[in-house]
Amino acid sequence: MELKTLCELKGISGREEPVRRAVYAACAEKLGKDSVSIDKMGNVIATKPGRDPSCPHVMLSAHMDEVGLMVISATEEGLLKVRSIGGIDPRVLVSKRVRVGYDEPVCQGKPDKKSIPGVIGAMAIHQQSPEDRKNVLPIEQLYVDIGAKDQAEASALAPAGTPVTFDTPYRDFGEGLALSKALDDRVGVYNLLRLLDGDFAGKTSFVFTCQEEVGCRGAIGAAFRLMPDIGIALEGTTANDAGDIQTTQQICRVGGGVAVSFMDNASLAQPELFRGMLALAQEKGISHQVKMSVSGGNEGGFIQRTGSGVKTCVLSVPCRYIHSPASVCALGDVQAQYLLAKAFLEDARLLSQLANKEGQR
Amino acid sequence: MDFLSYLQEAGAKRGPSGHEDEISAWLAERFRPLCDQVDIDPMFNVIAVKKATKTGKKPVPRVLLCAHQDEIALMVSDILPDGTLRMGQVGGVDPRILPASTVTVHGTGKPGEMNKLTGIIGAMPPHLLDEAERKQNYKREDLFVDLGLPVEKVRSLVNIGDLITLHGEAVELLNRRAAGKTMDDRACVGILLDIAERMQGMAHEADLYFACTSQEEVGSRGARAAAYTVDPHMAVVLDVSHAPIPQSKPDSTIPLDAPAASYGPFVQHRLLDRLKATAARHGVKLNTEHAEGATHTDADNVQIAREGVPCVLLSLPLKYMHTTVELLDMNAMAECGRLIAHFLAELTQGWEDELWN
Repeated sequence: MELKTLCELKGISGREEPVRRAVYAACAEKLGKDSVSIDKMGNVIATKPGRDPSCPHVMLSAHMDEVGLMVISATEEGLLKVRSIGGIDPRVLVSKRVRVGYDEPVCQGKPDKKSIPGVIGAMAIHQQSPEDRKNVLPIEQLYVDIGAKDQAEASALAPAGTPVTFDTPYRDFGEGLALSKALDDRVGVYNLLRLLDGDFAGKTSFVFTCQEEVGCRGAIGAAFRLMPDIGIALEGTTANDAGDIQTTQQICRVGGGVAVSFMDNASLAQPELFRGMLALAQEKGISHQVKMSVSGGNEGGFIQRTGSGVKTCVLSVPCRYIHSPASVCALGDVQAQYLLAKAFLEDARLLSQLANKEGQR
Repeated sequence: MDFLSYLQEAGAKRGPSGHEDEISAWLAERFRPLCDQVDIDPMFNVIAVKKATKTGKKPVPRVLLCAHQDEIALMVSDILPDGTLRMGQVGGVDPRILPASTVTVHGTGKPGEMNKLTGIIGAMPPHLLDEAERKQNYKREDLFVDLGLPVEKVRSLVNIGDLITLHGEAVELLNRRAAGKTMDDRACVGILLDIAERMQGMAHEADLYFACTSQEEVGSRGARAAAYTVDPHMAVVLDVSHAPIPQSKPDSTIPLDAPAASYGPFVQHRLLDRLKATAARHGVKLNTEHAEGATHTDADNVQIAREGVPCVLLSLPLKYMHTTVELLDMNAMAECGRLIAHFLAELTQGWEDELWN
């Protein structure tokens, strides 16, 4: 499936159904229905048995959900009040376009539902006081305007709970870059789907998780069910490399290759696995970088603490302006994430080394 | 169910987080005639099972219904030279409610003893405070419990770490409203009992696990273990939420007169649709409440137990939460019980198939 198609699917945390449908269909087509399941959290799990039973069981994860908004009510004027789902800086919301609701396909004779366009407005600069200009508008003071004439119309079209997503079409951008909403983590989903075709040494589980943006809640259950030996999270992570930013604050660079984390706020990479990944990237000539600062957190931390413990490592595609309506990544980095994950899964020698249960250095 | 007398009795049982021995034993006896099996687990969770009355599908689905039995409380942190007690807290106690409150100190004295002592929370009198001090609320650290006993006697009856519970028997107000201590969340435990009573006369295809959970007020620790034990296919979590008072912020409350269902990522949205449909079918007024992330209820931990548990969360509206005059509407309790009973009875074959479309 194309990265563009995946990015343009809608799926805020807890409401991943459009992404889930597409991912499930793609997995079932490639591996057959018997190898794919949807678990009790709504994660899609596909498993391939592998050639060598002595190899450890690897769980790869990429999250289906994206940050977005949720309608909570309508004002008397017909504006929609919203709350953010996942971490969104309210300063990026003013003057943005959104889609309210999902585009439901016709299913079981039920009628087609279309998402509706909306905008997030704010008081015109002419009418702002100097004080207004300084203050950040909190989410409680931002509204989605769908053009409804009153509360009744707005509530009928967008009842409480309706998901709202950024309306940013996917675009090729600059040189070798992509601009889209939801690159975090459709890049991971995209690569995970591509990896389904691989011929791997060990048993491999491909987990398309839900609810990462509200606390990695899908990954917790999936890891419990699978009890893997190794966990690799394919993520999109913050790149802070544009403008005059000191190197130490850049976190990672767009175009610098797949970012391998030694530590973030949720986990420390298992040292053997971390060094193995770097050596492998070196050996295969895969463009890579070490994520420079300790920031963010992701499913790696939750998979790691499952059962008796899991060796984990996070491979990320650097994304600028992450968690905003328009993030930017390099297609070369997306490819590098794919190549490194693939090389790892094909490396029977490295995998067998990692099969030991002790945390060797 | 006679909610008022239940609330009066339940509110008087000791059950600070981590010390739910008395309340759990009492609740287990209340569930026993209504269920097939009742256990108290190592964390003081009461887990009462009512088996399916007819079995459609194998394996029989397990539904976890939970509400927490523990209460916020205080504990003895020091015995002062004059025999008064300094206080620590168990869960979030609002210090503004403490001055001049009557309390029970559960003195452990010598091993095997349990001395229920009445105390008054005292403070420096206003006459002796300067004007700036009088404008500020007392902090817990400024207050003490006076048992009216000499220090030697206090030392023989009370140890550091002993629990202190607040007083506040439920009183009936106008319009089937009631106020008292520990409505959070004994009122919802009462709804669980009401559901168990209603299910005596209703057929159901799922095994029902009623869990009165422990340690919610310190981070939903009991629910986590209970959900692990039961390994349910879905869960209905009950807790209280804020009803409006004059100072409430917009979009932060639910009306007092009816239960409310939460929506947001932690709630399974198709199950929520199902619950709403049940409410509409049976004429139960059901409001909704947004939770864009953590719900700060047992649902947060139940949802991620084992492989994950699809949850719905129902809230009973409550005014003046975490005071000794928590106020609720007993009609809303009854309607909540009626709604969930129908929801359980209508949980027939194939309910799982619709979850992830």
